[in-house]
Amino acid sequence: MRVGLEAFVMLATALFAVGLFGALSKRSAIMVLMSLELMANAVNILLVAASRYVTPATMDGWFFAVFSLVVSAAEIGLGLSLVLALYRKVRTAELDRLDTLKG
Amino acid sequence: MMLAAIPLLPAAAFAVLAPMSRALRNSAKTVSLVAMTGSLVLALVAFAEVWSARGGEGTHAVFHAFLPIAPGHAFGFGLLLDPVSAVMLLVVTIVGLCVQVYSLGYMHTDERVGWYYAVLSLFSAAMLAVVLADNFLELYMAWEIMGLCSYLLIGFWHTEEGPRKASIKAFLTTRVGDVGFGLALAAMFALTGSFAFDVVLPASAGWAPGAATLVALLLLFAAMGKSAQFPLHVWLPDAMAGPTPASALIHAATMVAAGVYLVARALPVFVASGVALTVTLAIGIVTALLGGTLALVQHDIKKVLAYSTISQLGYMFVALGTASEVAALYHLVTHAFFKSLLFLGAGVIIHATHTQDMREMGGLRRKMPVTTAVFTVGALALAGVFPLSGFFSKDEILASLLRGGHYWFFAGALLAALLTAFYVTRLWVRVFWGTGSDHAHEGHRVMLAPMAVLAAITAVIGFASVAFAGFLGHEGEWPEVGLAAASTLTALGGIGAAWWVYSLGGVDTEALKARLKVPYDVLVQKYYMDALYEAAFVKPYEAAARALAAFDLGVIDGAVNGVATLWVRATQVSRNFDVNVIDGAVNGAADAVVEAGGKLRRLQTGRVQSYQRLIVGGLVLLLAWVMVLWPLLKAALKGA
Amino acid sequence: MPDVNPVAFVVLAALALGGAVMTVLTRNVVHAAFWLLEVLVATAGLYLVLSAEFIALVQLMVYAGAVSVLVLFVIMLTLRRREDSVRTRDLSWPVAAMSAVLAVAIAYVTRALPVPAPERAAQPDVAAFGHALFTRWVLPFEIASGILLVALVGAVWWAGRGEEL
Repeated sequence: MRVGLEAFVMLATALFAVGLFGALSKRSAIMVLMSLELMANAVNILLVAASRYVTPATMDGWFFAVFSLVVSAAEIGLGLSLVLALYRKVRTAELDRLDTLKG
Repeated sequence: MMLAAIPLLPAAAFAVLAPMSRALRNSAKTVSLVAMTGSLVLALVAFAEVWSARGGEGTHAVFHAFLPIAPGHAFGFGLLLDPVSAVMLLVVTIVGLCVQVYSLGYMHTDERVGWYYAVLSLFSAAMLAVVLADNFLELYMAWEIMGLCSYLLIGFWHTEEGPRKASIKAFLTTRVGDVGFGLALAAMFALTGSFAFDVVLPASAGWAPGAATLVALLLLFAAMGKSAQFPLHVWLPDAMAGPTPASALIHAATMVAAGVYLVARALPVFVASGVALTVTLAIGIVTALLGGTLALVQHDIKKVLAYSTISQLGYMFVALGTASEVAALYHLVTHAFFKSLLFLGAGVIIHATHTQDMREMGGLRRKMPVTTAVFTVGALALAGVFPLSGFFSKDEILASLLRGGHYWFFAGALLAALLTAFYVTRLWVRVFWGTGSDHAHEGHRVMLAPMAVLAAITAVIGFASVAFAGFLGHEGEWPEVGLAAASTLTALGGIGAAWWVYSLGGVDTEALKARLKVPYDVLVQKYYMDALYEAAFVKPYEAAARALAAFDLGVIDGAVNGVATLWVRATQVSRNFDVNVIDGAVNGAADAVVEAGGKLRRLQTGRVQSYQRLIVGGLVLLLAWVMVLWPLLKAALKGA
Repeated sequence: MPDVNPVAFVVLAALALGGAVMTVLTRNVVHAAFWLLEVLVATAGLYLVLSAEFIALVQLMVYAGAVSVLVLFVIMLTLRRREDSVRTRDLSWPVAAMSAVLAVAIAYVTRALPVPAPERAAQPDVAAFGHALFTRWVLPFEIASGILLVALVGAVWWAGRGEEL
């Protein structure tokens, strides 16, 4: 039994969906950020797998994966610092309490 | 500009006095007199100018071309100064000033003397504008203002019924004639596209006889209204209800002569027609005889003079009917002076005796010597006795009749002259001769002075007849001896007969009345013309008015009220519709929007995640469309 | 077709997916952070299965090391009491259904996509990867490092403004 690209796509899709569910449903800003990490991770798995199956010699997808990792790291760093600043300002990290823009 | 100031000075006086006639009660006479004196001075200057330039074209000043009355036609508001208007200017300003001075005495006790002077000023302005107008439309406008002033002055004592009714009668009767003027204007504009004298009058020679006759008769009709010619003369005797000085100015000297002036101006149209001249002649002679006969039976001194005025105006129309505008205008001038003199004298007499009925007067020559003297001058001039002015002007008219070969009319005119001499002598005898009125007193100097001036003019102006004709550009000649003898004999005959009847008691007038009951009643009833008009116009009109009023109240008002009621009902229905349907719809729409907004508002939670959910939901729907619904739809369409 | 050990794949995939599910389902934030760490480590294993040793190493260092610690730090800083770490489950069935639909849709779409065969079979190695990274991909690499630097400065500035905020 060989493991094909389809298996990785399924796995990545499932992880992405779980991360999406978390990002949309969790009230804690930290939890949302963690769910975003799950989604980014799913994308990275897809990139690495696809590159391994389609362009094993040039490894194009791997470079994309590296840049994606970098951007994700920057995003999580900024996101967490935002959560920290927010917490300092309003003493909470609950997103449903932040409805200043409510119409 | 100096020319324009002549009518504008009294107009300005009116503008000042009219709104504050009560406040300026004491200074009104000063304002009015100053303006009138200024007009007189300027008129003298203008006359001297024309005199020195006689034979020339005269002055014609057009101030503005404005009032675009029709495409391509503008109404020029202009003033025309030629010998005719120069003479008329002098007559109007002299008589006007004399009357205003006289009014100082006559009206000084009246409450509304300020208003009196205001209207008098406005009248003077209008009359001066009439004689200075250089076109028919302008003349018509001033003509109507004169009519208004006449109405206002006849009805000056409007708290009494007589003056009130008389003013309405005068206004309406002259309005009948003015309709003719309006139609004449329309006709001449249709024919020439202009109202200007110097366009219309020369062009009239080229008109078809029918057109010329139409315009001429319409103008004649207007003149008949204003100049109280048969059958539109009925208003003038009643107009005597106004203040006597106003009667002297308006209803003897100037306004009633405006009709003569109008026909004299438009004489080329009458000449072009031919028929119109004959009509003018006939109307003139009928009026002259009618006025003369009616004056015989009047007992009111002013009414005698009023019928005399009608008669003399008829004389002028006779002259116009012979196409002799010189004779007509000359008689106009002399008549203006002696008739206004007679009216002013009558005013003094009325003041002195507190009555207008000649039967209550008598023997005033002893109490009022000055009045007697000047009145006698005027009466002799009216009778046509040499060497007073009436003799010369009447003689010219008779001469023009003979020249034209109108012998029957000549006979009629002589008869009218006889009647004139008769009734004026009757008046004179009744008032000044005999006995009665012992408590009378002489008039005030301020009233006698203008009368003296007018008497002097009346006495000497007759000798200007040849100069007058020359001034107007015609060959003037002194009266022929034969004709002069005939007219003098006629006048003396009339005077003698009247003297015999009324002074010497040669005839028992009561017995005569009884013997000639039928003709006498006819005269007393003014040829039944008032009764005729009453029956023919007033009564039917009143009946029609009552019928219309009933129609108005019953049908129109009923319809209006019915419509109004229906309308109220309809508005109630409409209101219910409004409240329930329209408002319901509007409020419903608003409520729906509010509700939808309230619901949609929940979308705008301000929470990041709800937006994210919407984004993802949208993505899902988009995917569903792209992947499922659209392929299915495409397949279904293809299959179809 | 690379040689992927099916047993290793199944185990690692199960670990990753299970860890992800546990991350979103757990009520304790601290636990969630640890479940996330578990997912990230499993992902690194998957990279190893795919012969991507360098990326697996980066994954361990950056995610399993730095990000997890950062997350835990922030959790600690924002929790005033120990009990605050236990939360409601925050489950929303519509969102779950939506996510599931989306996943099915993506899977459906990608299943129909053709997978091109590689032009030549090759065994990737770290030396070649590193050579390409600093030659052919050097510009994106530098840009990425610039992004990282800006994010670093931003994060420090934002988080470090302290109490005067």
